Amino acid sequence: METPPPIYEIRLAGHLSPQWVDWFEGLTVSLEEDGDTLLTGPVADQAALHGLIKKIRDLGMILVSINRVQFNESHPNRSNKEKK
Amino acid sequence: MSAPILATKLYIPPPRQKIVPRPRLIERLDAVFNAGSRLTLISAPAGFGKTTLVSEWIAGCGRPAAWLSLEEGDNNLTRFLIYLIAALQTLALSKIGGIAANIGAGVLAMLQSPQLPSTESILATLLNEIATISDSFILVLDDYHVIDSQSIDHVLAFLVEHLPSQMHLVIASREDPPLPLARLRACGQLAELRAADLCFTPTEAADFLNQVMGLNLSAEDITALETRTEGWIAGLKLAAISMQGRSDPTRFIQSFTGSHRFVLDYLIEEVLGRQPENIQMFLLRTSILDRMCGSLCDAVLLDFPASGQETLEYLEHANLFVIPLDQERRWYRYHHLFSELLRLRFGQPQELSNLHLRASAWYEANDDLAEAFHHAFAAGDFERAVRLAEAAWQEMERNFQTVAWIGWVKKLPDAVVCSQPSLCVLLGRAFSDVGELGSSETYLQSAERALADKKDQEQSSPLSGTIALIRASNAQNEGDLAETVKYAELSIQLIPENDVYLRAQAAITLGFTHWATGNLEASLRAMHTWVEDMQRLGNQEFAIASAFAVADMQVILGRLSDAEKSLRQAIQQAAMHIPEAESITAHHHLGLAMLAHERGNDAAAAQYLQTAADLGQRTTLVDWLYRWNLAQARLKESDREWDSALDLLDVAGRAYVKNPIPILRPVEALKTRVYLKQGRLDKAQAWVRARGISTEVEVRYLDEYDHLTLARVRMAEGSFAGVSGLLERLLALAETQKRSGSVIEILLTQALVYQAQNDWPRALTALERALALTEPEGYLRTFVDEGEAMRLMLVDFKSMNEKQATHLLRDYVDKILAAFSQPVEAISKSTIANQESEMIEPLTNRELEILRLIAEGQSNAEISQRLYLALSTVKGHNLRIFNKLQAQNRTEAVVRAQELGLL
Repeated sequence: METPPPIYEIRLAGHLSPQWVDWFEGLTVSLEEDGDTLLTGPVADQAALHGLIKKIRDLGMILVSINRVQFNESHPNRSNKEKK
Repeated sequence: MSAPILATKLYIPPPRQKIVPRPRLIERLDAVFNAGSRLTLISAPAGFGKTTLVSEWIAGCGRPAAWLSLEEGDNNLTRFLIYLIAALQTLALSKIGGIAANIGAGVLAMLQSPQLPSTESILATLLNEIATISDSFILVLDDYHVIDSQSIDHVLAFLVEHLPSQMHLVIASREDPPLPLARLRACGQLAELRAADLCFTPTEAADFLNQVMGLNLSAEDITALETRTEGWIAGLKLAAISMQGRSDPTRFIQSFTGSHRFVLDYLIEEVLGRQPENIQMFLLRTSILDRMCGSLCDAVLLDFPASGQETLEYLEHANLFVIPLDQERRWYRYHHLFSELLRLRFGQPQELSNLHLRASAWYEANDDLAEAFHHAFAAGDFERAVRLAEAAWQEMERNFQTVAWIGWVKKLPDAVVCSQPSLCVLLGRAFSDVGELGSSETYLQSAERALADKKDQEQSSPLSGTIALIRASNAQNEGDLAETVKYAELSIQLIPENDVYLRAQAAITLGFTHWATGNLEASLRAMHTWVEDMQRLGNQEFAIASAFAVADMQVILGRLSDAEKSLRQAIQQAAMHIPEAESITAHHHLGLAMLAHERGNDAAAAQYLQTAADLGQRTTLVDWLYRWNLAQARLKESDREWDSALDLLDVAGRAYVKNPIPILRPVEALKTRVYLKQGRLDKAQAWVRARGISTEVEVRYLDEYDHLTLARVRMAEGSFAGVSGLLERLLALAETQKRSGSVIEILLTQALVYQAQNDWPRALTALERALALTEPEGYLRTFVDEGEAMRLMLVDFKSMNEKQATHLLRDYVDKILAAFSQPVEAISKSTIANQESEMIEPLTNRELEILRLIAEGQSNAEISQRLYLALSTVKGHNLRIFNKLQAQNRTEAVVRAQELGLL
């Protein structure tokens, strides 16, 4: 069984308009009241993550934070053991 | 197409006209520059005016400067270095002192090798070249953040660590480069400007908005804007553009500052929205291009009211983020941020694809296959991309850009690639060239599967021939002789007559294989065919370069004069046809040096060696260091400097780069022979065990040298079982294949072996046979380097044949014997110096002879018998010897002689 990709929450300063959704494919764009934008969604792996960060850099946007969000209640390893 | 340098990357952007002067920053840069720090880092995100600032500083600093604008494609080490050199070469135009127009030529030559020399040696050469520049200068690397390659980062770090004193390096990047910045800061060696420094101060913002952009904003408005954009220049600029011509800027500012939207996102809409529709369309469509010229824009836009050139110029005047890339206003690009934002707005993928196709077609028509490929790929037109990749192959391969080519093709989906037999074959070839034989075979099999699917009989034969040839080459690299022959012969059958180039490849593969099996006459024939084919194809360099291999073969066949002729002819041809590439004759001069050395022409040898060394510094030939060090080791051996010889052999071993020329004298065997001369039998025996050879095996040419070495080890051990048989078998094979050079070696080994067993008749017979072969060609060193044992045999031979020997041989033997006593001139100057300075009268040949026997421990009686002299004569000689050496007795005499290098 493949472990699903981790979910990341990336916080940017400033709101993004809807057309950016395509550009951050697969991520949900939510506009926070404090003026930040939250991009949330699955990021396949580290390489994909660094690619995203680079895109953000190249657009001159301000990267506030990156967090990995726990999405599974059970730890992936534990679920494998249970299967055995 | 891949070779020409894009001048636009080297273009120094002139200072912009409508800008805010930033004296505080310029002063900071000047101050640290004058204080002696030689690394300046400008590290800030996009849109902070880095390039503008640096170009302004350059223009005013009064020093010669070189500029390199980096792009993603520069992530290849070779390409990066090529462009770095090209940038340095632009300095020659600015009348800077001490710089040649072709600075960096040495490094460029190194980069041409199929297998790159070590990065360290490339960098050392580069730094040496830079050191020749006498005036101080600045080198700017712009957009360093695009570099993602560890090897290039390593080069940069090395450069920074060893920055030549005349060079000031400026790096502009959107992120901190991987350098030890903390340490450099601490040592005061780094000048830095970061985002906080580059932001517009409120004063600068006011200046920009009102003076430069001609707006008439109140102080409050300016503050509001400055706060909203946080001094970000790109933001302020876009804001200014969107406010031009507005009657009520304050309202705009209020909406703008009241919105949370990302600055650029908000402003780009404003800016775009206010452009006339056709300009909007122009901007959107051309955003797919990395760089633009008028005619390219026309091609991409199809029917557009204005010409591309006019529009670009309009955009430049309107300050709409278009940046000229050259003096002539031919090429432009968008400011990175602008083009990113534009690309974002592209809704329809189909239209995007069409635009890319048009761009691809334009680039193809304008001979830029790289760009044409990338646009075809971006368009998703894989068939087109495949065709372009195939078209680009030959030129890229010739320019040693195989790795880059593989990178292109690997972008294409596997399914697409595997369905194209000719592309797969090219991949098979490419991987073979770079030494990844497993991948090569994989693609060859894909090609065969695709061919089987296509069932196109007409098409299949030429490709099948190529596939067989690539397999032959792979087998050769793996050392599998049988498979190499099999595939090489198969390929010759399958390759069509008119494909001269390919047939030549097959011929030379077969040629090398014949070489490895000892069939040298067949090998020579194949080489001659290949050289003719190369000349027919106009490839003089290959034809001339290969002469050293031909000479090697001729030496093995015992034809020293022919070898000399081949080398001389090639050197002449090089001078005539390719004077600019004369460094390829480094091998040839080395070959002539070693031939001269063999024949005892030491002065000539020294001269050739010097030429070879000079040329060798610049040579592109991949196995130069290997061959040079082997030759040096041989010379040290002749000088009896055993430890130096061993060191040099080690260097040679490490420098070896795999190539089709068979290794006929493995380094380990060569070292073993030196161990034997040093009397280190244990090390020699260790080699025998490690190598796992014995006297009871089938002989084959490739193992000949190892077997001859084994014979010598056994001789030193005193265990002769099986040795004669082995030597007989080697001799038989060598004679069948007419390899006189080998025959000579084997005969001499036989002679020594018999001598060691006190079988003088057989020893002298073998010696005589060898002399008959060596005399016409003037071999000398081969005898002398064997040392005392050989000398004794020659003396014996001479005495035995005193009455009846043919006149020729006697003179020849005398010459060889004389050479034993002579110190080697020129090559070992120190020996001569010692002897001259420390002895008033040198020893005569006879005295040296006797001294040597004394050193061996022979008594006077033995010596008199040996040399057919009366006992009293010997004693008389001894007295004179002791006098000259200022010694009291035999032991002292021997020690003194050794100190003087006589023994």
